[in-house]
Amino acid sequence: MKGGGMKPFEYFEANTVKEATQLLSNYGEKAQILAGGIDLIPRIRKGDIKTEYVVNIQKIPDLDHIGPDGNQGLKFGAMVKLHSLENLKAIQEKYPIFYEAIHQITSVQAKYMGTAVGNLCVATPASDVATALYALGAELKIAGVKGERTEPIEKFYLDYLRTSLKRGEMVTGVSLPKPSPGAGTSFLNLARTRSDIAKMCVAVALTVQDGICREVRIAMGAAAPTLFRATKAEGALTGQKASLQAIAAAAKTASEETRPITDLRSTAEYRKEMANVLVRRALEKALEKAKA
Amino acid sequence: MKKEIANFEINGRPYEVIVTPNMTLSELLRDSLDLTGTKHACEVGQCGSCTVLVEGKPTLSCSTLAIAVRDKAILTIEGLSQGRPLHPLQQAFIDSGGIQCGFCTPGAIMMAKALLDENPNPTRQEIKEGLGGNLCRCTGYVKIIDAVLMAAETMRKGGK
Repeated sequence: MKGGGMKPFEYFEANTVKEATQLLSNYGEKAQILAGGIDLIPRIRKGDIKTEYVVNIQKIPDLDHIGPDGNQGLKFGAMVKLHSLENLKAIQEKYPIFYEAIHQITSVQAKYMGTAVGNLCVATPASDVATALYALGAELKIAGVKGERTEPIEKFYLDYLRTSLKRGEMVTGVSLPKPSPGAGTSFLNLARTRSDIAKMCVAVALTVQDGICREVRIAMGAAAPTLFRATKAEGALTGQKASLQAIAAAAKTASEETRPITDLRSTAEYRKEMANVLVRRALEKALEKAKA
Repeated sequence: MKKEIANFEINGRPYEVIVTPNMTLSELLRDSLDLTGTKHACEVGQCGSCTVLVEGKPTLSCSTLAIAVRDKAILTIEGLSQGRPLHPLQQAFIDSGGIQCGFCTPGAIMMAKALLDENPNPTRQEIKEGLGGNLCRCTGYVKIIDAVLMAAETMRKGGK
C-alpha cells in the first residue's frame, strides 16, 4: 500500500509555550498540536480532521518534566510519554490505577511515542488513561496567550471530542493531588481483545472510616458522550456502611446514570448491563484495598 | 507547501533530502531513500510493521513526521547488519521459523532490538508484552517469541 494521502499543511516547531499559544491563537481551529503524533497523524491521513497548520511542541523545554507538585502530589508536563509514566515508581506506588490504565495498553511503540496529555486532549470518552485520571481528581494546567489557568479534569470535557480549550490555549501539564490516606482504588475495563479500545472502563476511589464509606469517586468511560462521575451512585454510597449490598445498590444506580451508545463494539443495552457489573467489581476491589 | 532540504542520520549515514511537512518518516525511508525494509501496513499506528528506532526508541514511522526527526539517529532494518553475518535477531528469526510471509518481520525485529537493548534477558512473558504492538497476520507468534529468546541468548554470549 502506498503511504501518504496527507493533505499539505504548514509546519511550525515552537520553542516556547508562548510561541505555541500565539500560533494556536493565530490559526484557531485550522491548527493542531503535534505532541506524540500517534493520534494526530493517522487522523490527518484519514481526513478525519482538516489541518492547515501543525504546531510541534516536542522541542519546548520543561514540558517533559515529572516531579512533586509541592503539595505532596505529582505533576507532569505535556510531553511526558506514557512509557515514562508507566515506569515511574511514584506512579506505580501512589497512583496504581493510573499505572494500570497505562500498563494494559498493548502497543509498546504507542507508549514510547504517546503522551498522557495528548491522550486527554483527544477527548474520546473511551480513554482508559483519562478515566483513571478522572477518578484521581487530576487538574490540568492550561496556557493561553492571555496567561495560565487550571481546570479540574471534570470541567475539561464538554462533549464528545470537545474540550473546554479556547482558541490559543493548550494543556501544558497535569497535577495529581496527594492520594487520600487509606483510599482504595481500582481500574477495570472491558474490550473485545487486549489491544482494542475499551467498550467500557471504570475507575473508582473509595475511603472507608470506621466501616463507613466516606469519599467515593466513580469515573466512567465509554458510557456517555464524555467521561463522567456517577455522582448519584457516589452519593448513595457515601455515609453507608461499607458492605457488598451497599456496593451492589450503588452499582445499579451508576448503571442508570450511563447514556451509552450502540456501535460496532457493543450495544447500548449490553453496555448498560456491564456498567452495573464493572462498577460493582471495581468497588468491591477498591473496598478490599481500602481495608488493607 | 514549503519544501525544504533536511538532514537525516539513518543507519549511521548522513542524508540530505528534500521534504515536505506532510511526509511521514515511513514515506521518507521507502519513497525517497529506497529503504523498503520498513513496511507500510495499517498506516494508523496499530500493527507495528513500520517500527524503526529513533534515538534507540521504538517508533511507528507511519505516524511520525519526517521533518520532526531531522538530525536524530534513525535505525532501520537495513542498518542492523552490514551484509553477513546477519544480526543475531535476523539469524534467529530464520533459524526458528519466525518468518512466514515476512511482512511484519522488519518491524518485529526492530521492536525486539529495542526490547533486548533494555532487557538482555527477558522472560517469555516479557517478550509477549514487549511485542504487544506488533501484529503478525500469519499468527506466527510462538516462533517469533522463540526467535527473540534465541537471539537474546546469542547476544548474551557476545554474539553481535
